[in-house]
Amino acid sequence: MPFTDIAVAIQISFTYFTIIYLTGLGGLFSERSGIVNIGLEGLMIVGTVTGAFGVRFFTDTVGLGSVWGPLLGLLFGALCGAIFASIHAVATITFRVDHIVSGVVINLIAIGLARFLSYAFFNGQSTQSDPGGPHLARLDVPGLSSLPGGLDRAFEGLSPMVVVAALMVIPVWYSLYRTRWGLRLRSCGENPEATRSLGVSVPQYRYQGVLLSGAFAGLSGAFLAAEVIGNWREGQTLGLGFIALAALILSNWNPIRLMFFAWLFGFAVAIPLRLNDAPVISLLPEQFIRMIPYVVTIVAIAGFVGRVRPPAAAGRAYEGGGGS
Amino acid sequence: MATQGLAPPIAVARTRPAWLETFAGQALALLASFAIALVAGSLLIIAYGENPIDVYTSILDASLGSADGIGYVLAIATPLIFSALAVSVCFKGGMFNIGVEGQYLVAMITAAVAELNLDFLPGPLLIPAVLIAAMLGGMIWAAVPGVLKVRTGAHEVVTTIMMNGIAVSLVGWALNGPLHYNDAPEGAFVDLRSNVFPPEGLAGDLGAKFGVTPGAHLSWLLFLAIVAAIVVWFLIRRTRLGYEARAVGSSPGSAKAGGVSIGSTQLRLFLISGALAGLVGMHLILADRGYLPLNYVVGLGFTGIAVAFLGQNNPIGIIFAAILWGILSRGEVALQISSQVPREFIIILQGLLILTVVITYQIAKRRLAARQLQRAGLAGELEDSAAPEESSGPRGPEDTGAEALEPGKRI
Repeated sequence: MPFTDIAVAIQISFTYFTIIYLTGLGGLFSERSGIVNIGLEGLMIVGTVTGAFGVRFFTDTVGLGSVWGPLLGLLFGALCGAIFASIHAVATITFRVDHIVSGVVINLIAIGLARFLSYAFFNGQSTQSDPGGPHLARLDVPGLSSLPGGLDRAFEGLSPMVVVAALMVIPVWYSLYRTRWGLRLRSCGENPEATRSLGVSVPQYRYQGVLLSGAFAGLSGAFLAAEVIGNWREGQTLGLGFIALAALILSNWNPIRLMFFAWLFGFAVAIPLRLNDAPVISLLPEQFIRMIPYVVTIVAIAGFVGRVRPPAAAGRAYEGGGGS
Repeated sequence: MATQGLAPPIAVARTRPAWLETFAGQALALLASFAIALVAGSLLIIAYGENPIDVYTSILDASLGSADGIGYVLAIATPLIFSALAVSVCFKGGMFNIGVEGQYLVAMITAAVAELNLDFLPGPLLIPAVLIAAMLGGMIWAAVPGVLKVRTGAHEVVTTIMMNGIAVSLVGWALNGPLHYNDAPEGAFVDLRSNVFPPEGLAGDLGAKFGVTPGAHLSWLLFLAIVAAIVVWFLIRRTRLGYEARAVGSSPGSAKAGGVSIGSTQLRLFLISGALAGLVGMHLILADRGYLPLNYVVGLGFTGIAVAFLGQNNPIGIIFAAILWGILSRGEVALQISSQVPREFIIILQGLLILTVVITYQIAKRRLAARQLQRAGLAGELEDSAAPEESSGPRGPEDTGAEALEPGKRI
């Protein structure tokens, strides 16, 4: 098979890396603060519908042009993700509902909310918007996009958001490991009682962690709908929020290792999209090729889960201060 | 304080049975959450410029105002009861089966294989064989995340979701390959599906006896669902496995210390849950279609989670919750015909209901626990022979939280 196919598969893997990495970072902030968030998929869903609306609204209706329009649209998706995540925050932090129950509820509500919003946003269409929405100008990575042998295709025509997501590791790592805020956030996830004894408000940091997770997952969803697909469609998140959760677990809740696993799963998602003619893979029926990302996730989770250590207090209700 | 201890009111409070108090507390929480959801829904209706009372009345009228409406409601409720029971069985053991969706998809494949290959059997034998095939299909699909959880600690939330994705493709493969129809007339355009099942293998229409339109597809599977709910209640409340499940669900540490094998209990619960999940799709293929259609996202597994929460994981509560869900879903018709409010409003209302139920139930549970603790302390001071407090009410969400404390065993 030609190198071009591999190169294009790699290019697609960068796109899905972006989705999984941004969502995974969302999960990272939430779980590091001690709130398990399996509602990432739902937060992404809200990001997809609001992001698809946002890019159209700011580009066409407000008329901000082809740079600021899509950018503000993506940020609108992030904002709506954060607002939606506040439900998870209130339920788990203030009312101390079980984190997984609340996360499941978030995922359930998101599907209905997305239809409802879509109906309001897109002239009564409740399951999709018109295709071909505005997006950011495509980017060729300087230097790498002039590689020989067809490999240049991997670095051509990328959304600028791919680069933004990859660079996001720097501020995220710095804020978590080199600032007072990050130390406090992490200690809320490890030992909230001790953290409180030092005069830190645990609920406050946990709220911040959950809202950040909503913003990142919302941004990721907006990127998926607006930049990758070009419109909103029901069910377009395809369980990527859960794949991001799996990547987060395998990364041992570390933003740098998360980059690798997000790319790995991104590549697994790209296989059925582009590599179904490759040797060995082409022997499988088409439907089995589509199972690959899910099988890879299950095998990875089953093989690695015993070797990672989650934040000690994640998933546990914190009894002191705040709430009813 | 000493004189108060002898006063009648406290004595009365002390002899009131704990289960009654739990029941009253839960009922109150449920009513409060209904009220909040209805009020929030009313605000939304007013925003659309309509009268909330009119809209709610039209919803009730569409679902309960006629025999047809009730038939539709019960037909919607039938698969949801199975689905919610499947979710609740795992929940009792502190686990989340988000994979009901995939389990019933696979079960529909195995049931279709049984229908098409065992058609030599007479009806009274064929249908049980099909139902058993469906339950086995669901169990096989549930066994994978169950075994992985017990053996490797892989969290079932992630693995079951991935199994759902695999099941969707598996149905597509089966309908393109081994189960592809060949009974369609030459040149006719037919959607991708399996061959039509033999008529004696179908769940007959029940509606005709009660004056319900055949379009509602009401069938005796409803009674099977109710029987399943009673069986689950018996299993959880009156058997050793049920006791162990509740022990594992509420406190894995104590259960282990008490000699319960956590892994074996959880695996058995997962298999039972898978068997129940296998019956979810039977309404679609045996009562509605009569063949296996290409899967479309119907989401019965996820709705089942919502219904299980709404029924507070109590098998009998689940029956009522499924009917309530059916009433709301059927109400969409009313909105479509006679209102400015979009039918998506129903989904929002259902979402609001779930959210408020989960939160108010949690508050009620904490209040009750605090009060019972207080009373236990008081009773112990006053009277040594006071019966020990036992929280015998249906287990709630928080019971599953303890499991999350074990490192490496959680998300």
